[in-house]
Amino acid sequence: MSKFRVAVDVGGTFTDVFVFNEKTGNISVTKTSSTPSNPEIGILDGIKKANISGNEISMFSHGTTVGTNALIERKLPKTALITTRGFRDIPEIRRGTKQDLWDAYIDVAPPYIRRRDRFELNERVDYAGNVLVEVQEKEIRTLAQKLKKRGVESIAICFMNSYINNSNELKTINILQEEIPDVYICASSSILPEIFEHERMSTTIINAVLGPKVSNYIHSLEEKIKEKGYEGDILVLHSGGGVMTSETVPKYAARLASSGIAAGAIASKYIANLCGFKNAIGLDMGGTSTDISLVYDGQLKITKDWFIEYGYPIGFPSIEILTIGAGGGSLAWVDEGRSLRNGPQSAGAVPGPACYQRGGEEPTNTDANLVLGRLSTELLDGQMSLDKEAALKVVRKIGEQFGYTDEEAANAILKVANANMCDALRLISVRKGYDPRDFALVAFGGAGALHSAYLAKEIDIPNVIVPAHPGVAAAMGCLLVDVRHDVSKTFVKDIQETNVEELEKEFMTLELEATNLLKQEGIAHENMNLIRYLEMRYLGQWRTLSTPIGRPIQSLETALNTFHKEHERAYAFLNPDQNVEIYGLRVEAIGVVPKPEIVKESPEGKLEDAVKSYRDVYFEEAEGYVNTPVYDRKKIPTLSVLQGPAILDQLDSTVVLPPSFTAEVDSYKNIIMTYKK
Amino acid sequence: MSLTIKSNLEDVSSKSIHQSKLDPVTFEVLKNGFINLVDQMAEQILRTCYSFVIFNRDFSCAMCDANGNTIMQGTQDISVHVGTLHLTAKAVIEDFGDDIHPGDVFLVNDPYRGGTHFNDVRVIRPVFYNGKIISFMQANGHWADMGGSTPGSFDVNSKDHYGEGIRIPPVRIWSKGEYLKDVANLLVSNMRIPEERLGDLRSQAVATKVGENQLLQLVEKYGIETILTAFDEVQDYVEFMTREKVKKMPNGTWETTDFIDMDPEAGDGLIPIKVKMTVKDDQIFYDLSGSHPYISIFLNSGFGAALSATYAGTKTFFPDIPLNSGFYRVVQTYLPENSVVNAPWPVAVTGFCSGAYEKIMNSCFELWSNIMPERALACSFNLEYLLVGGNDKREGYNNQYFMWYDWMPGGHGGRIDRDGANALTAVFGLGMMIQPSEGQERLSPVLTTKLEILTDSAGPGEFRGGCGVEKGGILQNIENTVMSYCCDRSRSITWGIFGGLPSIPHGVWLNPDKENKQFLGTVFSNVKLKNGDMFTRPSAGGGGLGDPLKRDIEAVLDDVIDEYVSIERAKKDYGVVIKEIDRDLDQFEIDVEATRETRQYIRENRKKWLEEDVNVVFEKYQKGEVDHLDLIRRYGIVLDLGTNTVLQKSTAQNREMMRKRSLSYWD
Repeated sequence: MSKFRVAVDVGGTFTDVFVFNEKTGNISVTKTSSTPSNPEIGILDGIKKANISGNEISMFSHGTTVGTNALIERKLPKTALITTRGFRDIPEIRRGTKQDLWDAYIDVAPPYIRRRDRFELNERVDYAGNVLVEVQEKEIRTLAQKLKKRGVESIAICFMNSYINNSNELKTINILQEEIPDVYICASSSILPEIFEHERMSTTIINAVLGPKVSNYIHSLEEKIKEKGYEGDILVLHSGGGVMTSETVPKYAARLASSGIAAGAIASKYIANLCGFKNAIGLDMGGTSTDISLVYDGQLKITKDWFIEYGYPIGFPSIEILTIGAGGGSLAWVDEGRSLRNGPQSAGAVPGPACYQRGGEEPTNTDANLVLGRLSTELLDGQMSLDKEAALKVVRKIGEQFGYTDEEAANAILKVANANMCDALRLISVRKGYDPRDFALVAFGGAGALHSAYLAKEIDIPNVIVPAHPGVAAAMGCLLVDVRHDVSKTFVKDIQETNVEELEKEFMTLELEATNLLKQEGIAHENMNLIRYLEMRYLGQWRTLSTPIGRPIQSLETALNTFHKEHERAYAFLNPDQNVEIYGLRVEAIGVVPKPEIVKESPEGKLEDAVKSYRDVYFEEAEGYVNTPVYDRKKIPTLSVLQGPAILDQLDSTVVLPPSFTAEVDSYKNIIMTYKK
Repeated sequence: MSLTIKSNLEDVSSKSIHQSKLDPVTFEVLKNGFINLVDQMAEQILRTCYSFVIFNRDFSCAMCDANGNTIMQGTQDISVHVGTLHLTAKAVIEDFGDDIHPGDVFLVNDPYRGGTHFNDVRVIRPVFYNGKIISFMQANGHWADMGGSTPGSFDVNSKDHYGEGIRIPPVRIWSKGEYLKDVANLLVSNMRIPEERLGDLRSQAVATKVGENQLLQLVEKYGIETILTAFDEVQDYVEFMTREKVKKMPNGTWETTDFIDMDPEAGDGLIPIKVKMTVKDDQIFYDLSGSHPYISIFLNSGFGAALSATYAGTKTFFPDIPLNSGFYRVVQTYLPENSVVNAPWPVAVTGFCSGAYEKIMNSCFELWSNIMPERALACSFNLEYLLVGGNDKREGYNNQYFMWYDWMPGGHGGRIDRDGANALTAVFGLGMMIQPSEGQERLSPVLTTKLEILTDSAGPGEFRGGCGVEKGGILQNIENTVMSYCCDRSRSITWGIFGGLPSIPHGVWLNPDKENKQFLGTVFSNVKLKNGDMFTRPSAGGGGLGDPLKRDIEAVLDDVIDEYVSIERAKKDYGVVIKEIDRDLDQFEIDVEATRETRQYIRENRKKWLEEDVNVVFEKYQKGEVDHLDLIRRYGIVLDLGTNTVLQKSTAQNREMMRKRSLSYWD
């Protein structure tokens, strides 16, 4: 009988399969190699390796980098843009800016659609929605034939001001569908009816270039899994931190552009909640980069300001994730000004850190951790061994420049790496008005738990959580989400000039659209949950703040107060005397999906028996090497309390518990580390 | 006050190697911490500002030490403000001396004291520790209006600053924590839409507070001694790093001349800005002697902005060096007094950013291109902004005052191994965002009719310049409406290097497709507009790099397919003969034989064309035998586009530079 919930996270190197047994509450984890050209194969391999058959699966949830990779590698279908006469270069002009302001030889990535494939029609709508020029049927049909001749596979339509009146866009899409019915077509007004042509057009284009690709992929995966006996829907994780079914994938393909990255953030939210924390910072540290996310009051922070490649925004709300070039493989180096630097260059998988003995000749964080004894020379249960001599040799290169011993050099390398990560943690917390002292740090990914205690100490985060399976937390994230859609529109009015009735009416329209989506996906009415937001700002300001409002709306007063309060929290001041303007409306539509309930475990065995060995580990705060117990994390009984220093080894990760830290293991096998001053 | 900038460089040159008193970890941590602190101020401004100019990223922040030297600027700061923020911090110190107290906040926008122009308003907050000043936090933002006769405060008719807007010497705006409402009111009452200006003031003031808090936390953690040491060492580090890099450059002197279009009172004649650069061991010296005396229009630059141009021009070739006063110690600049690059009070300098500034910066690019060809960069399009201000008669807009304040992206210069970037914002500040037309249409009664890449706008070269764009608009439901424009390079056209060619002239056209078509030029203000008037303007493409006859034929074909280049100009500029088979299917054919012949023909004649009698060529132009782009790219002839006549003197000056930059590289 179907009893397994299966979540699959397909990454660049590994496909992680996370299986939750609904009957027993057991969790099992399988890793297989990814098969980038045909990700379905890796997924099916993983399921096979996990030893379950299709008809035993009750729910299949999936995070994928298919969309991200297609964009970056430009492996896209032949796509055309159709826009208002005079505006076909918007995707190339963008907002005109560069990410690297000073280096004239670092360019913004080229547009997804070349100029030759961008077409114009005579049409125009003004700022108020008046049609100045109606689009002509004949012109559309002529263009359709031209596109057909050119073998176009996908079309993005975005007209000026269509967010306020989409009649020309609709007319165009209808006629095109008649003329070239096999082509994937999407119009900006049905995807993201929001003001600002570049952002809307960019989202529409990304939707169009990904649409055929991700739809085909999901359908093909669905068929293959059906063949294995699975009968349910495939749930696909999207950037907004929810899932959608294959039904809606074609409509919102651009939301899959960062499907893979969102999973880790969701997992960190879940884990923090499991441990009783409402505020958490997620730290997902891998080999080359670290993803940082923030949960405040039980909610992941959402942004509308994101992209896969700079210059090409995707306007759908997305979990705010800060990715920095700091990981186990980040290189330590000394610059021309004789300053010790760390990253962003990385040794990557090849050649990798020097201790991997694959030709790496520069010191990395992994080498430094090995030199200090924090990493064992045997990883992955002995499947991989590290060469300490090689690590010493490269770390020494740094030491020689500053007159340091090997340990001092390794320690300095890690301190700079930690400082860089702390800057990133500040960026997402302090800089946005959050006090780190109110948060827990959830550390996962292969390298997160090696560094996390020191990061927390540095920026005053009182607790560090290391989940039971740090290496596959992202896959778990895929199992923990609801179906979610965000429907929004631009609506500009001084809050004094509108009223509850008008807003209620606007929201009802958005909600109808949202519930229709959920219905299509088979969500029962009682499992639908709608949350309304007003985007607001002080009149004259440019940025908006998203403020939740009741359903039905009780009064605008409450929303106003929340806005003032949030403005003060985020920007350190408020101005109750000033007029507040509503700028947009948004409905977050949740289709609640039952979550796995992870079972508590009673303690079994003795803590002493979990000690594998003792080894010398260097801690600066202990002024040198300390003979430190190394635990086998699997064998540590729940509810144990450990005093630092200690090293906790497990299959895919190592936890460093420095001196002056205490670790408690909770009933869910999470480790919670705290610093004793 | 001395207007001649003398550096103390001799005193500190060739300092022994950078020896830190701090351990390398503390140093690196604090250095990054300082960058983070400044960026945090920037984030605060971005999220709370009122001026859309600031919102579109015309602002910069800095943390200065107790002497006003810049310890760190932000990573996203725009180039025009680089190397001026320490000058305004020093101006506050100079004026207030001991009379600076905890809780004080100062304002300054004075270009004669090291500021750039009036719109760049700096908010400066001293930070105290144990009763002593340890730092000044500074937030500089471009306020949308500073008063004066013209909306946006860009009046080309003002010869001195009195008509331009309000000049703010260092002024106290918070005293010991108390907000001086009367002073603030006095200032903003002289500006259009005063409430917004107060909003900007507040946004910037809170940002400096954010910086103060962050710094005091660092002091708490590391101790005051460590922090003060780090202040010095971060500057020494940048100085040392810069010197190490400069040491690797060959010693020598390089010079060039760029031009502002004209002094309107003098008529025909380009206004030379001469830049001579000397690299000696680990120092860089710029000498701008021989630059023209200041002119009768606001395109002059004050000393601060001119210094900034040399810093920013240098920094572009050393992109990974952080910005602080350590960098400024390595770069020594001489600016002749009373010149167009060092205009004294009260000469108008508000348009410096379109005038002297970009000429100095692009000259620096050219000079460094000789030393570091791997980073070579031809001239980029000129910063420009158009301002339409008046009453909005649309329904629901209550006749309120609108300001349509617009700047365009354009083409950047060709590079050593690739084309220049298409449609990028000006080198003046690459973080400045282009505004969305949909947003503008809501705010102002101006309907954008097009915003598109302009075919053939790029300067030809083996690697062509980036393409410029054209933006057009139509005015509806307006009253009492005027238009002003600040730009340059309708005569001193964006040039190529290493054999590359110029692009196209800048300038605004009124009613371009109608009988009353009129060229308004590149600098004008308060031109009256009526309902139904249309206007359009191009931005120049970048100058080309290398001989266009050596451009890869396939690259020319690609440009033709994408309509970056027309079939006609492919032949005239690149000598590549292309036949259209079916544009609908991107089918074109290269005529190899005709291409060989055409290239040969151009090669044999082009040197002569640059010498050909101007009047003879102009006659051919009038007969339609040669066109306007031929005049520019083949004959080096400069026209007055308003009257469609030849400018003899400007042409002679232009040809001389074109011979140096283009002809001397041709076979």
